Amino acid sequence: MVAEIGPSNIESAFLLEALKRGTRVDGRGIYDYRTLKISCGPTYGLAEVQLGQTRVLARVSCEVTRPFPDRPTEGIVLFNTELSSMAGFGLDSSRASTQEVAISRMVERVIKQSRAIDSEALCILAGEKVWTIRIDVHFLDHGGNLIDAASIAAIAALKHFRRPDVTIDGEEAIIHDVRERNPVPLSIHHTPICVTFGFFGASGDMLVLDPTLLEEQVQVSSFTITLNSHREICALNKAGGIPLSPDQIQRCTQVALAKVDEVNEKIQLALKASTA
Amino acid sequence: MSRPDRREASQLRALNCSLGQLNRADGSAQFSAGNTSVVSGIYGPVEAKVYEEKLDRAVVEVKFRPDIGAPTTKDKWMESAIRNTFEREILTHLHPRTLVQIVIQLREGDGSVDSAAINATSLALVDAGIPLKCMITAATCAVLSDDTTVVDPTQEEIDAARSTHTFAFASGSSTGPLYVDSRGDFTMDEYNHCYDLCALATERVLAFMRTAIEGKVTKEAKISAA
Repeated sequence: MVAEIGPSNIESAFLLEALKRGTRVDGRGIYDYRTLKISCGPTYGLAEVQLGQTRVLARVSCEVTRPFPDRPTEGIVLFNTELSSMAGFGLDSSRASTQEVAISRMVERVIKQSRAIDSEALCILAGEKVWTIRIDVHFLDHGGNLIDAASIAAIAALKHFRRPDVTIDGEEAIIHDVRERNPVPLSIHHTPICVTFGFFGASGDMLVLDPTLLEEQVQVSSFTITLNSHREICALNKAGGIPLSPDQIQRCTQVALAKVDEVNEKIQLALKASTA
Repeated sequence: MSRPDRREASQLRALNCSLGQLNRADGSAQFSAGNTSVVSGIYGPVEAKVYEEKLDRAVVEVKFRPDIGAPTTKDKWMESAIRNTFEREILTHLHPRTLVQIVIQLREGDGSVDSAAINATSLALVDAGIPLKCMITAATCAVLSDDTTVVDPTQEEIDAARSTHTFAFASGSSTGPLYVDSRGDFTMDEYNHCYDLCALATERVLAFMRTAIEGKVTKEAKISAA
């Protein structure tokens, strides 16, 4: 009935006490992901991810535009990750807290700056026409850990997306209608997946993977590591919160490596299921 | 003239819906007709801001988010159209000084988006338990260049149409439509014909919604009785 006021003292105390005994409020192990469901399609470039109670929708679309003048042979990748009021009452992109803005920017940076999408392959006619790929991420339900869900949705949508086929004939480019010629997939170098950890306790000695909303509200620190299937670290993000030791970071990295493989497998299965 | 997807002129696309899929929202519904898919989430009745509350009734707010890109004036227009339609049918006087917030997210758009949004919102309001005078169901018609009228047009059909008409009716009411949106060149005869076709189509949509809601309610009754 009223706007979100945060967890009660009893709830926080219960969560911390349970963690001290090695259990989480929802019964998971500290390194367990919640149930992850990925569904793609039917429209090309549409992916919906359900991670526990968090639900995120990603939509990829394309358009032919002029390239940036300083990058005439590269396509453009645009991101839009606004927190909608549907995800939680009071959440609104115009009055977003710094934390919410950070979530949006994080997903954008992970995919753009890790150069996951081959932008040279998006060039049609150098200096004149390139593909602009647009990724819209819509948060439908905020059940905690929006970053991981959003990165999985964005990657699944990008891999599922097909753009119209193009033939270059000298100085002219012919863009084929999708009904004439099968659309082609994007050229994706690698698939960065975010894995988020939450830390609890006065010295941040207790940690969990994939925090729920309640765990996020109680945690004292948060750490996101982005890895791809080639076991490369694409990004590390620890903004604010209490300090963590390098050992903790190492431990998280090892756990994340295993998890990313599982997630990538699930994405592959979802993509296969959508074309079946 | 046959339609691209081989439907009859008055045939609706395959309808699909699911209720209560979202956890944070008080009520939610996903409604799809063919490749047009809309999710509607309801928060309400919740606390309204002091400057926007009404002393004797609930305030209704609608947000419409497109599938691709940032919201434009077209989406703002849709928000006010949907708000005007539902404001009168929600029993707002039962919840004074509160807010009913309707958030609509377009997942895939393939024509007849406004009627899908209205249908999804109707279902979501029922899922949220917001008191309503009636169910509101909507359908869209398009008059093509060869003067044939088709129901539930796809985007391809709308792009080639001379005029499109969306009507929303209140269930169980013999009065006129709650919402009308007509665009393009058309005669009054064409308008009346579309009116009749949409009235029939909305009856079918209503029957579908009823089955969906009954299914959900009986399932919940079984779970709580067990």
